[in-house]
Amino acid sequence: MGDDATRRLNSKKQTLDDAYAAPANFLEIDVINPITHGIGNKRYTDYEVRMRTNLPVFKVKESSVRRRYSDFEWLRNELERDSKIVVPPLPGKALKKQLPFRSDDGIYEDEFIEDRRKGLEVFINKVAGHPLAQNEKCLHMFIQEQVIDRNYVPGKIRNT
Amino acid sequence: MVSPNEEPEKLLDEAMAVVRSQSFQMKRCLDNGRLMDGLKHASNMLGELRTSLLSPKMYYELYMLISDELRHLETHLLEEFQTGHKVADLYELVQYAGNIVPRLYLLITVGLVYIKSNENCKRNILKDLVEMCRGVQHPLRGLFLRNYLLQCTRHILPDVEDPPPSNNPNDNEQGSISDSLEFILLNFAEMNKLWVRMQHQGHSREKEKREKERQELRILVGTNLVRLSQLEMVDVERYKKMVLPGLLEQAVSCRDALSQEYLMECIIQVFPDEFHLQTLGPFLQACAELHEDVNVKSIISSLIDRLAAFGNKEDSDGIPSEIKLFEIFSQHISTVIKSRPDMPLEDMVSLQVSLVNLAQQCYSNRLDLVDTVLANTLHILADNLKITKIHSGSPLGKELARLLRLPTGNYNDLLVILQLQHFLPLLQLLDYQGRSTMGTFLLNNVLENGTRIPTPEQVDGVLGLCASLVRDADDQPLSQPDPDDLAEEQLLLARLLHQFEGATNDLQYLILQVARKHLETGGPKRVIHTLPTLVFLAYKLAHAYFNNKDQDEKWGKKVHKIFQFCHATIAALVKAEYSELPLRLYLQGALAADVITFPGHDTVAYEFMSQAFSLYEDEISDSKAQLSALTLIVATVQQTRNFTEENHQPLRTNCALAASKLLKKPDQARAVTTCAHLFWSATINGQELRDEKRVVECLKKAVRISQQCMDASVQLHLFVQLLNHYTYFYEKQTPGVTISMINQLISKVKEDLTQLESGEDLDQVTSHLNTTLAHLALRKEQPLPDGPSYEGLVL
Repeated sequence: MGDDATRRLNSKKQTLDDAYAAPANFLEIDVINPITHGIGNKRYTDYEVRMRTNLPVFKVKESSVRRRYSDFEWLRNELERDSKIVVPPLPGKALKKQLPFRSDDGIYEDEFIEDRRKGLEVFINKVAGHPLAQNEKCLHMFIQEQVIDRNYVPGKIRNT
Repeated sequence: MVSPNEEPEKLLDEAMAVVRSQSFQMKRCLDNGRLMDGLKHASNMLGELRTSLLSPKMYYELYMLISDELRHLETHLLEEFQTGHKVADLYELVQYAGNIVPRLYLLITVGLVYIKSNENCKRNILKDLVEMCRGVQHPLRGLFLRNYLLQCTRHILPDVEDPPPSNNPNDNEQGSISDSLEFILLNFAEMNKLWVRMQHQGHSREKEKREKERQELRILVGTNLVRLSQLEMVDVERYKKMVLPGLLEQAVSCRDALSQEYLMECIIQVFPDEFHLQTLGPFLQACAELHEDVNVKSIISSLIDRLAAFGNKEDSDGIPSEIKLFEIFSQHISTVIKSRPDMPLEDMVSLQVSLVNLAQQCYSNRLDLVDTVLANTLHILADNLKITKIHSGSPLGKELARLLRLPTGNYNDLLVILQLQHFLPLLQLLDYQGRSTMGTFLLNNVLENGTRIPTPEQVDGVLGLCASLVRDADDQPLSQPDPDDLAEEQLLLARLLHQFEGATNDLQYLILQVARKHLETGGPKRVIHTLPTLVFLAYKLAHAYFNNKDQDEKWGKKVHKIFQFCHATIAALVKAEYSELPLRLYLQGALAADVITFPGHDTVAYEFMSQAFSLYEDEISDSKAQLSALTLIVATVQQTRNFTEENHQPLRTNCALAASKLLKKPDQARAVTTCAHLFWSATINGQELRDEKRVVECLKKAVRISQQCMDASVQLHLFVQLLNHYTYFYEKQTPGVTISMINQLISKVKEDLTQLESGEDLDQVTSHLNTTLAHLALRKEQPLPDGPSYEGLVL
């Protein structure tokens, strides 16, 4: 008989509540509604960063803030410096598109903005989904505070 | 640009290509006896099922291709390992496959071969396989893996009675029914879990698409239930004790509407009705515990409808008498309704519809059950929810109408519906439109089925049910109804009256009284359609009494009362400012009273005639209407047989007078001519009047009046007509009507004819004249034996 082949470790039986429970690690961040503000040199585009989650580490379960590309850069730099994770890249800076004397709208073209929006969405979901990054103060500030205080004291969150 | 669908398509094509090439190499290695290499290629092939990038549909395609190829492996292994010796090693060996998905597919395939070559490991291996599949927790991959397990094991699940309890673990190595149940129920629970969990995958904005995909995959979960139902050893007892509790436990606990709705429906459809009958309690109990988004109504309804059909089937023994089907459903439905305060009202009523259906199908002689359902519905709507009016176009209104139609259509006998105490109060909850539609439906039902309504009480009931057709209602629309629609509706009511048929004349009389009490409240626009029918029914009844006078000594008085009834009914029409119709009804009454010779009938007939005259004189002003009314009056007087001279004389004199007072000359001429016949052939005391003096007077007067007509063609028409009347009276040998009068008329007509312009008028007059002359010529040649002579006739 092949008893050996079917000898297994005993595993604990799952309860029905566990079996059918909604996942405890729900996290969804949308980068949407790009708006271009200002004129001339002061022109810039920002995006709505909207988060919904049930992760206990986040104080607020639903939030919405507006961020521009440079805010994403700031976040990336903070994480690079303070956390131990390999921070994914941001979509490119598109320096070429910022050269003067252009026939098109450069970085304010709809198509470019849409590409960048997608890239930023991928980036922030990867970052926020990482368990180590989830402890960084900078991430929480980026996602949940209306205004980023660049003079904050870096550190870890411990409210779980 | 890459279209979003192009990429997965390409991925699928690539995967399929890999599968084909790996399976080719797998087969080649197997043929060459290189088992290990063969398994390696099989594993490579199976590696394609690790993808997360395909839609469920594409994954299914890939799965089908692979499971086909795996059958080759299975066949090969079976041949190779007939004895079962080394399969145990192989079973262990495949567990070293690097990735979990290929590993488990291989394990299942080898496990199947193992069992087929050695029945004694069946119990053990089955248990191991179903447990090991837990290793894949990705919903889509897990669902298909377990589906593969189900497919592979479908013919080898033990389907034999459990052995008696024993201490020796080796006693039941081939397994028995309990092992199969455990196997499928566990597999089912795991698959349902994966299926439910699928909703949490991906972005929440794609939830709808995912739910659609889940719907597509439900059959995979349902296959478990099908397997259970195919096991011979699953009888009512096992179903009750093991199968159903196992299924319901998962269904209820998963708290997922989509899954619950499907599973409950699946249970109903997959297992036999005999099982359902024995497990109504737990099943309905579970229904009450389902998620609030689940359409419980349709689940319960579908169970009821199935059992109702079962109870009504020819070859079944019906519902076992110890199962109080109606009570069970009734009770659980009320529990469900109470446990779901948010349930739409129409769903609640729809459940009652199912209950009525059940009562009618399975307990056809228990009208009280139907009434109980109606009572409960009424209680919920009117007492609990304080609803006073239901819009007929709303879902609730439509369901309620369905509830009310159901028994009507089932019994096809409105007398049965009348026994339902709660039918009318429920009907009255509907708005005007709803009640009218229902009234029309009920009336049509009576007419189509020829239902006779035999008692005054039932007549009262029926007219109560269609009250909104009978009279105005507070909530009817302010705008006037379309006259054609109203007429159509009222004609239905008129036709209904003909279905009133008392067993005795006395009963019929009471019925007519009840009917009038309802109908006279209809207002002018309705009574014109309905009361005439009632009057004719009353005349018919008077005749019936008369025909039966030997058996009923009080018949005279009763008939008198009927004529009073008619008199009053016609008066109601007069009061509603109609004239032409009541005039005709009076005349009809005079004719009836004339031949039904009850004491005083003469006076009654005279009264009816004089009412007709009054209407003629006071109410009818249009000249055309006057002529036709007067013609009818004259004809009626002419038709009567039993007037005394005292009563007849004023009637005919008035006719003549009225004729000469008509406004238009041609009308006068025609009416006066008609009166000539009255003076000739009216009957008094069984004798024709033969007042030749008045006849000749009338004819001459008609000629005189015709001469005064200005229109030559009208005049000619009149002369030709008069020629005919003269001819008639000449033939009857009326003294005073002579050949020379006829000759004069003929020559006058012929002369005038030349003056008339050609045209349709001329043609008509000419042809009328020619046929008249032809008739005279014939008479001249062949006089009737006792007729007059036509000597001197100039044609």
